[in-house]
Amino acid sequence: MSGVLLFTFFVVLTVTSYLATRKLFITYRHPLLNPVFLSTVAIIAVLKGTGLGLDDYRPATEVMTYLLGPATVALALPLYHNRKVLAAHLLPVLVGVMAGSLATMAAALAAGRLLKIDPLVLISLGPKSVTVPIAVEISRLAGGDASLTAAFVVATGMIGSIMGPSLLSLCRVRSQVARGLALGTVSHGQGTAVALLESETAGAMGGVAMAIAAVFTALAAPYYLPLFLQ
Amino acid sequence: MARKLFDICWQIVLLWLVFRCGVLLVGALHLSLPGNVAGMLIMFALLASGIVKPVLIETGSGFLLKHFAFFFIPISVGLISFGGLMRQSGLELLVILFASAVVGVAVTGATVQLLQQRRER
Repeated sequence: MSGVLLFTFFVVLTVTSYLATRKLFITYRHPLLNPVFLSTVAIIAVLKGTGLGLDDYRPATEVMTYLLGPATVALALPLYHNRKVLAAHLLPVLVGVMAGSLATMAAALAAGRLLKIDPLVLISLGPKSVTVPIAVEISRLAGGDASLTAAFVVATGMIGSIMGPSLLSLCRVRSQVARGLALGTVSHGQGTAVALLESETAGAMGGVAMAIAAVFTALAAPYYLPLFLQ
Repeated sequence: MARKLFDICWQIVLLWLVFRCGVLLVGALHLSLPGNVAGMLIMFALLASGIVKPVLIETGSGFLLKHFAFFFIPISVGLISFGGLMRQSGLELLVILFASAVVGVAVTGATVQLLQQRRER
């Protein structure tokens, strides 16, 4: 197949898988029907089945992810809309999100070292609780792999949104502010979506936590990650 | 419909310009901060100071955020090169992700609730 044809094929394949799995997710609302997870599996299956490789898919990737930069800038808007809740709970937000971000990173990196995980994989694990576009950049700057980080982020989003609410109830965390912040700090957008199902306050706090955790992790990572890599 | 499409397009151009400013700023100041984070902070400052009104970017932002997850798919396809790693340590990685998520959720939730209770007393 010629380059242009292959490129078009991959863009159409990716967009169709996304739209189809999104429809599936919206219909059944089950966390395991995650559109990113299902579409990725489908596309990898097509690549394996046709004998094509990542090098054939890469030109399409570059074009399709071009809008990820502006999309990240767009995250400022929900944060702006929630500025009043942020200001009203500034101390718990800052302290809680920082403590949670540092704790989850430390737990992942310490466990990874204990299990003798390869340093490249370990670095890629570091920003796994941060929303994908920012996590990927943190990982790149630290010398990790973007695809691995994206996979860890999506998996963490699924894990946290499935077990997070029950774990919080088990820990007797009843405050809606605390529940929203915990879900957003660990499971970014996916956690925020679950928090929004609990209450509007929890949802707003989830969105705030996701943004603050991303900025804080980006600032802390260059100093914090090396501590676990020596 | 056409009007909405037009709004989405030029508003994305605006968001893109702020993104580029973030990237250039980070490069010029030699910061170890991702350019897109700088872009987001610049946009927040523009909104908070009233220089940019929310309506000016609402349609474009809404579109990008609605389909945010789409952009993760092409990145995740890169996992195809890590088949060996997944077969070898997939389970360990899953355990790590699960355990660290438990720690993160518990620490954040407990810390915030404690701070709120102390403030109420």
